[in-house]
Amino acid sequence: MEFKTALTRVFAVGVAATMLFSSAACGNSSASDEDDNSLMTVEVFDGLANYQGEQKGWFAKIIKDKFNIKLNIVAPNVAGGGSTLFDTRAAAGNLGDIVIYGYDTGKGSKLVKSGLIEDMTPYLQDTEYISKYKEATDYVNEQIGQESGVWGIPSAVVENLTPDEPSEGLEPTFGPYLRWDLYKEVGYPEINTLEDLVSVLKQMQDKAREESGSDDIYAMSLFKDWDSNMMNNAKQPTCFYGYDEVGFVLAKGDGSDFESITEEDGIYERTIKFFNAAYRAGIVDPESTTQNYDTMNSKYKNGKVLFSFWPWLGQAAYNTNENKAAGKGFMLAPLKDMKIFSYGATPRGDKTMIALGSKAKNKQRLVKFIDWLYSPEGVYASSNQTGGSAGVQGLTWEVKDGKPVLTDFGSAVLSGESKNVPDEWGGGSYSDGISALNFTTVNVNDIDPNTGYTYNPVMWPSEIEKANENPLNKDWQEHMGASTTMEYLKNNNMLLVGAGSSYVQPEEDSQISTLRGSIKTEIVNSSWKASFADSESECEKIFSDMIKTVQGLDIDSVLEVDMKNAKDQDQSRKDILKEYQNKKSSSSESSESSE
Amino acid sequence: MESTTTTSGGNALADGVGGTTETEPAPRTAKDRRAANKAKKMAGNIDYNKRHGIRLFLLIAPLLIMVVLFSYLPLFGWLYAFFDYQPPIPLSESKFVGLQWFKMMVQNPAQLQTIGQVLINTFAMSGLNILTSFFPLFFAIALNEIRAKRFRNLIQTLTTLPNFISWVLVYAVAFAMFSTTGMFNELLQNLHIISEPIKFLDSSDHTWLKMLLWSLWKGLGWGSIMYLAGIAGIDQELYEAAQVDGANRFQQIIHVTIPQLLPTYFVLLMLSISNFLNNGMDQYFVFQNAFNLKYIQVLDLYVYNVGMGNNSLSYATAISMLKSLVSVGLLIAVNWLSKRTRGVSIV
Repeated sequence: MEFKTALTRVFAVGVAATMLFSSAACGNSSASDEDDNSLMTVEVFDGLANYQGEQKGWFAKIIKDKFNIKLNIVAPNVAGGGSTLFDTRAAAGNLGDIVIYGYDTGKGSKLVKSGLIEDMTPYLQDTEYISKYKEATDYVNEQIGQESGVWGIPSAVVENLTPDEPSEGLEPTFGPYLRWDLYKEVGYPEINTLEDLVSVLKQMQDKAREESGSDDIYAMSLFKDWDSNMMNNAKQPTCFYGYDEVGFVLAKGDGSDFESITEEDGIYERTIKFFNAAYRAGIVDPESTTQNYDTMNSKYKNGKVLFSFWPWLGQAAYNTNENKAAGKGFMLAPLKDMKIFSYGATPRGDKTMIALGSKAKNKQRLVKFIDWLYSPEGVYASSNQTGGSAGVQGLTWEVKDGKPVLTDFGSAVLSGESKNVPDEWGGGSYSDGISALNFTTVNVNDIDPNTGYTYNPVMWPSEIEKANENPLNKDWQEHMGASTTMEYLKNNNMLLVGAGSSYVQPEEDSQISTLRGSIKTEIVNSSWKASFADSESECEKIFSDMIKTVQGLDIDSVLEVDMKNAKDQDQSRKDILKEYQNKKSSSSESSESSE
Repeated sequence: MESTTTTSGGNALADGVGGTTETEPAPRTAKDRRAANKAKKMAGNIDYNKRHGIRLFLLIAPLLIMVVLFSYLPLFGWLYAFFDYQPPIPLSESKFVGLQWFKMMVQNPAQLQTIGQVLINTFAMSGLNILTSFFPLFFAIALNEIRAKRFRNLIQTLTTLPNFISWVLVYAVAFAMFSTTGMFNELLQNLHIISEPIKFLDSSDHTWLKMLLWSLWKGLGWGSIMYLAGIAGIDQELYEAAQVDGANRFQQIIHVTIPQLLPTYFVLLMLSISNFLNNGMDQYFVFQNAFNLKYIQVLDLYVYNVGMGNNSLSYATAISMLKSLVSVGLLIAVNWLSKRTRGVSIV
């Protein structure tokens, strides 16, 4: 009897609780229909963000004033553990109110299929900018298997650049960047090829240690955060020779070479051997194997590292106005035989898109917010952390005599100095207030129709003039005989533009991706081991063992897929080039065809 | 009991067939009579028995529910091993692939080798843990022999504390002390004992041993608590008798304490053997890196790395079923051993 009553009680409580929860849920859903414009916290699932939590500072203030929203950023990059966060949230049926995620390799179609994102079409009536990028959104539809609608807007779209032009501004994405001041001090030694860097960097490291008296300066510092199909750092030098990765394949931007990373004496093995030579010369930071990007970045900021694969790492961290005035900073030091890979401008955008979460409330407001991100004002305000657009008009830049110029404040903070934003702009330090979305909506080297100049201040006449004033750039220009890096690369035919075709890899068979999973673990781990081997023969042995193992793991069937993708990518590059050439010369062509 | 009643019934039937004229067969012996009486009584109380049975069942019902919830329900997860499950798409819409993932596991020698290495690691780590399972026993005895009470309590507290620190924090401490720029390397370098930092964490040397030391450091104090309780329960008269016989402290330990603790030890040993494959993954998860992965990857960690790290949940499920397979294998082996040595089987 007692059991019965006790059981009844338990059930009663349970039922009551269930009803309470379900009624609460009902309350939520009914509220979603109307928007009372109250403050709303928008959860953004952001595959690009490197910061997790609430958006702070000046960007938070702008969007609060404009849309009365707060952003809460959910960042799989920060959470780590591969796609764990995506999987668990997707399984729960709600990724976030706004989803920023790649749409390649079938990811986009999965998002649609599982009902995680929604078509924005019903909410587009008051928007102005999204429709401008119809070519891009249609391309997304094509890739995710939708006939119509606006399911997602890709990142880095452009209006005024053609696909054969570099999408980068003055600096390419990749390049051998050295601490120019030290390079100068050791007498500008010539660097004929990649391997010569070891001795040059060794001299620079000795010099730097001698001058500063601290022996924790290393020429190179590596990190593992971005490893996927291969050791990410080891891919970078291959980009100096025009390669870029497609799965396990390194493909040359002009389609002249496709190489597996497991090819013996291939370009990938070459860079691993280069790392190993550098390690044995004592110029690689021993913390490389354990540190993460943030730790490494702070080393760059403190001048403890002398070589950078990317301008947006070395220069962004170290080339502050103060350092540049002292003649110190990272500048490109050419390898004589290099041909740097450059991403062509992509009229159809990049492989990441911003989309509307299907479970979001106040969707109208969210679409307006997304639309704003694509407006000139939004592009200026929402630049990413590394060398992006100019910031907020009135705070970091202004229009003088019809030309945009940076304010003193803007010039300081954009060169990496830490400064606090005035209270009326939201307060806090400028760098903390940068949009944590880390999502480039419009390529910053595209032209702002309002000013007639790029969104990126380094291309402004006022800035180019200013850049030429500091001793660092002056010395570089004198030595190199060009005014900017891009100019030098173009003049010396050292740039290989992979046309901006927005090629998207198709969905992969899950058996292939399972194979890929075990193979890439082997490749990444062996690459690290080989790079930090104690002798050249050991390095070679680890690498050849790796080749044997991955062949046993059936890399060939994965390579077949990657090779096909690489060739398809090349074809799509050639296609878009043709398309744009036709557009350019449509009038002359028509006269030709009539002949 | 029941069988007796049936027999009596059977007798009655046989009697009837035998052609006796009695309508109700009279029990022949006292035993039969008693059994018949009992049967009659029980038939009358069938209602009572039923209710009593339900009550007893209700008593164990919560435990049964728990067993079903935590041991049997998860087995439905095995379904994922037969589908091509890719997370945002629900299982109901995934493709059925049959034994594809199991075939993948054995399709090439390199894959088999990896799984083999994982199993070796699992067995090695568990084996080492079992081999060192007497450490807490000796530690408890040593602790018990400390006469200064305060000092003993201090030691006990200090050695028990690490058990309450999560592995993530343990790794943070390990990193601060043993990374290439950690305390230990700095110290050695400043003392000019070494010129190049020693790689404690990012090398594949002695991985099993290092992991064993960490788990010992963490679990020694905690593991000895059970034995300390055991020591407290030993009859003091045994010691007094030993003293009368002239045994010194060491002899008392050998001849009284250890034999008295052995039953406890064997119970714990049995429990740890039954947990052979569950050597957890958190410790190995935090300590894993590109350099030691080959030797640190135990079964649980491997399943995690494949499923979550490489996003192949179906394949990971198939591998995790391996664990059940190995467990059944172990059970059969232990059962055989028990039959051989004791003549009694466990299952």
